[in-house]
Amino acid sequence: MKRWFPVGLVVLAVGLALYPLQATGYGVRVMLQLFMWIALAQSWNLISGLTGYVSFGHVVFFGTGAYAASILIVTLGWAWPLACLGGGVVAAALAFLIGWPCLRLKGPYFAIATLGLNEVMRVVVSYYEGLTGGGNGLSLPTLHASVEIYYAMGLVAAVVTAVTYVIVTSRFGLRLMTIREDEVAAEAMGIDTLRYKLYAFLLSAAAPGIVGGLSARDQGYIEPLSVFPLIMTITMIVMALFGGKGTIWGPVLGAAVLFAFQEVVWARFIYLHQLLFGAIIVGVVLLMPRGILGVLQQKYNLPRTI
Amino acid sequence: MAPILEIRSVVKRFGGVAAVNGVSLALEPGRIYGLIGPNGSGKTTLFNCITGVDQADEGEILFKGWRIDGLRPHQIFHLGMGRTFQVIRVFPELTALENLLVVTTAGYAAAERRARELLALVKLERLAGEFAGNLSYGQQKLVEFIRVLMTDPEMILLDEPAAGVNRTLLNELLDAVRRLRDQGKTVLLVEHDMKVVMGLCETVFVLDHGEKLAEGAPGVIQADERVIEAYFGR
Amino acid sequence: MGVLITPSMIGQVVISGLLAGSLYAMVALGLGLIFGVMRVLNVAHGPLLMMGAYTTFWLFHWIGLNPYLSLLVSMPLLFLVGVALQRFLVRRVVDAPELSSLLLTFGVSIALVNLAQLAFTSDLRSVEYLTGSFVVAPFALSKPRLATCGFAIAITLGAFVFLRSTRLGKAIRAVSQSREVAQVCGIDVQRIHLITFGLGSALAAAGGSLVAVMVAIQPEMGQVYTFKSFLVIVLGGAGNYPGALLGGLLLGLVEQLASLFLTSQVNEAVAYVLLVIVLLIRPTGLLKGRV
Repeated sequence: MKRWFPVGLVVLAVGLALYPLQATGYGVRVMLQLFMWIALAQSWNLISGLTGYVSFGHVVFFGTGAYAASILIVTLGWAWPLACLGGGVVAAALAFLIGWPCLRLKGPYFAIATLGLNEVMRVVVSYYEGLTGGGNGLSLPTLHASVEIYYAMGLVAAVVTAVTYVIVTSRFGLRLMTIREDEVAAEAMGIDTLRYKLYAFLLSAAAPGIVGGLSARDQGYIEPLSVFPLIMTITMIVMALFGGKGTIWGPVLGAAVLFAFQEVVWARFIYLHQLLFGAIIVGVVLLMPRGILGVLQQKYNLPRTI
Repeated sequence: MAPILEIRSVVKRFGGVAAVNGVSLALEPGRIYGLIGPNGSGKTTLFNCITGVDQADEGEILFKGWRIDGLRPHQIFHLGMGRTFQVIRVFPELTALENLLVVTTAGYAAAERRARELLALVKLERLAGEFAGNLSYGQQKLVEFIRVLMTDPEMILLDEPAAGVNRTLLNELLDAVRRLRDQGKTVLLVEHDMKVVMGLCETVFVLDHGEKLAEGAPGVIQADERVIEAYFGR
Repeated sequence: MGVLITPSMIGQVVISGLLAGSLYAMVALGLGLIFGVMRVLNVAHGPLLMMGAYTTFWLFHWIGLNPYLSLLVSMPLLFLVGVALQRFLVRRVVDAPELSSLLLTFGVSIALVNLAQLAFTSDLRSVEYLTGSFVVAPFALSKPRLATCGFAIAITLGAFVFLRSTRLGKAIRAVSQSREVAQVCGIDVQRIHLITFGLGSALAAAGGSLVAVMVAIQPEMGQVYTFKSFLVIVLGGAGNYPGALLGGLLLGLVEQLASLFLTSQVNEAVAYVLLVIVLLIRPTGLLKGRV
C-alpha cells in the first residue's frame, strides 16, 4: 500500500502534465479550475483545518491577489507570472495586517471579522475606480495562455499540498494543532499561539493570492462581485470539510469530487444546482463533519499523513 | 535567600466581585508549598494570575525577581515556570509522545530522547504512540505531569494533582514531587485533599474569600481556629 | 467636497440615523437572541427577513392588506418557520464549533433564497403604501421611515418587556446565561431553544414587513441585513440584549454620518471598519457582553 502511493502520484503527475497535449481548450480550462479549487481548499485547510480558526472570508485573499496582479499587469506592464506572484505577496501582506489584530479574537468573532474584511475589500476595490475600474471591472490585455496557466495552477496546487505535508509532519504543524485542540494549554506550554496562528494565516493567504492572479489572467476580466463572493469561501470550506479538514489529501479529494459534481450538475440543472449545493452543505455539516478522510482516519487509525 | 516567587497585594475582580482581594505571598526556592481554602476562596484565580491566564487588576507578581504580571502564559513558561490544570488538558489528537514534543524548541533528536526518558519515568513508554485522548484518566494525568517537566522548569504549579486519582498513582505522583523538590525545584500546589497537603507540603497558605487567612507549617494550620471556621463555618 | 455642513444637516443625519437604527436594533435583537441562547450564528437571518417582506407584499397584492397589519401575519408565520428550522436542522449544531452553525445556516439561507427565486422570480417588487414626508422645519421626516421606526420601537420594547417580566422571557435569559444552571432549575432547554429561534425569526420577519414599504423586494434583499445584524451584535455585546438596541442605533448613526462625508458605497466599509475596531478594543462588545 505504502509503496504504490508515491508511484501512483508520479503517474498521475505525468498524466496531468501531458494532458494539454491532447485535450481541447475547454478541457484544459476545466482542469485549470480544478487545480485552482484544490489550491483554495488546501489553503483554507492550512489555517482553519489545522488551527481551528475559521476564516469565513478567505476569498478576500483570492480577490486581493486578483486585483493586485491585474493592476501590476495593466498599470505597470509586468509579465503575468511575476504579477501573480506579486498577487500572492500582497495577499500575504494583507493577512499579516489583519491577522495581527484579529487572530486574538475568539472563534465566532474571528469568523465575523474575516467576513467583514471581505466586504471591506470589495467596497474598497470598488471605490478606487481610477486604479481598479471600480464597479465596471478591469480588463486585461488579450492573451491566449490557457495552457501555461494550466501548468501554473497545477504547480501551485502541488506546492500547497506539499507544503501541507511538510507542515503536518513537523513540530510546527503539531503546534498549530495544539492551538486547535486546546489553546489555553498550548499557551501554558510555552507556545506563542499568536505567532503560530499568524504564520499559518500568512501561508494560507499566499496561494489564494497567486491563483487569484492566475484566474484573473485566464479570464481576462475581473470585477468586485466576481472575485469577492461569499459563495467561493463557502465552496472552498465545504470542499475541505467534505474531504476531511486537517488532513493532507482531504481538501484534494473534496475539491475533486465537488468540482466534478458542480461541472455535471451546473451544466444541466442550473436552478437545481444551487439548491442541491445548499443541501450538500447541510449534509456535510450534519452527517460528516470530519469528512471522508477524517472518518477513515479515525476508524482505521490511519496516520496523520493521509 | 531571595524568594523565587513573590505576590504583592494582588487584586483580581470579576464584575463587582473581588475573587482575589489583596493577597501577598512569598515562596522560597526548593520547597513544596500548598495553597488551600474553601470553594470560592480564590485559589484558582490566583493561580491563573500567576501563570498569566488572567491579568491581575492590582498588585505585582515577581518570579526570580522579574515582574511577570502582564506577561503572556507562554512567556512565563519560558522563564521557567510550568503548570498543570485542574481539568486535564492534554492534546487529545496528538500522541503521548507528540504531547511532549511540542513543548520544547530544542532539536528534535534531543527532544525525543528527553520525552522518552520522561515517559519511561512514569512507565508509559509503550503508550508513546497512542493518541492522548485514548488514554485512561490516570495515564493522561501522568502525561500532563511529565509534559511540564520537558523543559526542566525551576518552578512547577500543580492545580489539584490529586483530583480523581487512585491511591497508587497518587503516591507515585507525590514521590515524584518530592524528588523534584530534592532536585532544587519549587512546587506550589492547589489541593482540596487535606491528607495530601499535610503529608507533602512544607508550608501551607490558606485563602478565604480572596484574602490570605493564614500561613505556616501544616500542623500549625490544621490547629488554627480561623482555618477551621473558614472550612466548617461557625 | 467643499460642502458646508450646517447644524441642521447634522440634525437631519442624526434623526435619519436613529430612525434607521431602530430597525437595525429590532432585527439584530432577533439574531442576538439566537446567538445568546444557542451560540448559533444565523446566516439565514437575512432570508427570514426577506420572507417577511414577501409575505407583506403578497398580502398587499392579493387582498390589499395594510402592510402594517400584515405584521400580525408575517411574525407568527415566520415564528413557526423558525421553530421548524430549529427543530429539524439547527438543533444539531447548537453549541457546536462556529463553523458548523455558520455553514448550516448558510446552507439554509441558500435554500431559502433559491426557493424564493423559484417561487417569486427575481423581479423587483414593491409595496406602494406610504410615501412623502412630514416637514418639521428644518427637518424632513420620511413618513415610511417614521412608521417603521415607530413599529420597530414598539416591537422591540415589547420584546424587552417580554424578556424582563414574563416567566418565559426570564427562562430565555436564564438559558442564555447558563444552560446547565437553567436545566437544573427545571427549565426545558429544548423548548426554550425552539421558542428562541422562532422569536428571532419573527423579529427578522417584522423587519422585512416594515422595510417592504421602503425598499425593493427581491430574494437577495436580506443579505445586507444579516451582515448588519452581526455587526450590531458585536457592537452591543453577545448575549447583551439592551446592547443590541444601543448597537443598532449606533450603527444607524454611524452610517448616516458617514454618508455626509463619503459616498454611499463606502458607508458599508465604514460599518465594517467600526466592527473591527470595536472587536479589537473590546472583544466583548461596547457594553458588557459574554465572550
